[in-house]
Amino acid sequence: MTDVTVASKRRGSTWLILPGVVWMALFMVVPILMICYVSFWTQTTFNISPTPTLASWKQFFSSDTYTGALWTTVRIWLIVLAMTFIIGYPTALFVGLFVKSKTLSTVLLVICVIPFWTSFLIRVLAWRPMLGKEGAINIILQKLHIISQPIEVLLFTELSVVIGMTQIYCVFMVGPIAFMLGRIDRNIIEAARDLGAGFGRIFWKIIFPLSLPGVVVGAIFVSVMVLGEFATSGALSGRKVNLLGNIIVTQVGSLKWAMASVTGVILTVVMGMVIAAFLRIVDLKQEL
Amino acid sequence: MESRVLKPILAVYVVAFILFLYGPFFVLTIISFQQGPDGGPQFPITEWSLYWYKQIFGLTPPSRIAPLPVGEALVRSLILAFMTMVTATVLGVMSAQAFRRKFRGSTFVFYMIVLGMMVPGVLTGLGTSLLANNVIGITRHWYTTAFATHVAYTYPFAFLVMLAILNRFDASVEEAAWSLGVKPWTTFRKVTFPLIFPGVLSAMLFAFTLSLDEFPRSLFAAGGSEDQTLPLAIYGTFSVEIHPNIFAFGVLTTLFSFALLSVYGILMAMSVRRARKLAMQEDIA
Repeated sequence: MTDVTVASKRRGSTWLILPGVVWMALFMVVPILMICYVSFWTQTTFNISPTPTLASWKQFFSSDTYTGALWTTVRIWLIVLAMTFIIGYPTALFVGLFVKSKTLSTVLLVICVIPFWTSFLIRVLAWRPMLGKEGAINIILQKLHIISQPIEVLLFTELSVVIGMTQIYCVFMVGPIAFMLGRIDRNIIEAARDLGAGFGRIFWKIIFPLSLPGVVVGAIFVSVMVLGEFATSGALSGRKVNLLGNIIVTQVGSLKWAMASVTGVILTVVMGMVIAAFLRIVDLKQEL
Repeated sequence: MESRVLKPILAVYVVAFILFLYGPFFVLTIISFQQGPDGGPQFPITEWSLYWYKQIFGLTPPSRIAPLPVGEALVRSLILAFMTMVTATVLGVMSAQAFRRKFRGSTFVFYMIVLGMMVPGVLTGLGTSLLANNVIGITRHWYTTAFATHVAYTYPFAFLVMLAILNRFDASVEEAAWSLGVKPWTTFRKVTFPLIFPGVLSAMLFAFTLSLDEFPRSLFAAGGSEDQTLPLAIYGTFSVEIHPNIFAFGVLTTLFSFALLSVYGILMAMSVRRARKLAMQEDIA
């Protein structure tokens, strides 16, 4: 190939990539910079002006409501992350490792994805008749004579938020783990077995370490989604559980843009730290 | 052997897991057949009826419960999803095509694009509305600001799908066309595009369904009530009392998704069959 065509090809790929880069710069990068910028603006009751101030930042860290929301977000995130992992891993183990036929494991994964075709908000709302005092779970437990009084802590508590989020997000944990487990060379497991290793030992020494990149990818998916949540907590906690996302929504609702931005920056920082920590555990570029 | 014990246990566990995933959907389907207009969104079912389905289509006499305000919102959402689908897929195909050659800053550009699917909607939505509302000073609409955020969200998915397709793409057919003197654009249209079409379909499906159900970005980036998309209309009912009509609507939208997916499946099967037929003709020749 002559130099002229190489140069023209290179120019060609610049033109191809440019629209996408511009779009992402304008509608992703600039908006996020905007959040940082506006968090230092001066907020009055009905107005906001670009005079720089730290007032909103001070207000965030001096108020129990806001710092409380930060800790609630971290707590709910950790609990949901642990739950999705504990509930999802055995499923992934079965789908990725124990099912021999590729067709069956694909079918199982598709079955896991079908619920996503129902609108997200309606899926969240469906937990209300499920968990309520006269909800499906209480009715079933009472019919089975396991309980005599309906359990009331099921709905409009932190527990209901955790249950709802776990159900909505656990599939994002199952998928990546099952994918990594499916790639394990079965001969390694056979070899370990021939050398007399029990299943527990094989699991901890071979299977689990090899599935770790999948766990990290799943954990990043779940973390990003749970940290940015506000709809599930709003609908299932009866406004008792306030996450950072809920603070942003209510602040924007009352036109407190500066406070919403401060909360947004804090959410971004938390998320960045979480993702960086996960990428520390496993070097994804090397594994995938 | 342990797996003889473990495998059945895990199989039972997976069944329980699937029940857990489907539980809410079963419950919402049952409750959507609740008697109306007095039956509430809870058990027991006082009487099985189609009342709430009829109400969605405006076939019931007016009652104290207002019908869901979904008509116009649905139209808006469909148009928005279509616009998003076209834009995101075009951008995705272009960028993936550019990534077939190494260029300076490609790693940076890659992460910048992928960021769009990683950053939570609350943040993109908030940032975009700050930009529009406070810095530039324009009114937010579903077809402007919300559209921009929807594309920024779905374009990374389209890009990754196309990247995966083009990674497995045999470039020698293109080179053959070029060496025969076919212009690059014609080559793309006549050779490359038909070959990557199944990927384009998947990218379109991703963009359409993600945009249709997109909620946090729209919440911030769309304007007032005349700008409501479908998820926003549903969200509007959160604050007031909920009725079984929302569950009936959920069942209907799920069926619609199934229909959409069937169309996708048929188109996919057709394109695979056509490719196979072409290959067979080549073999005969």
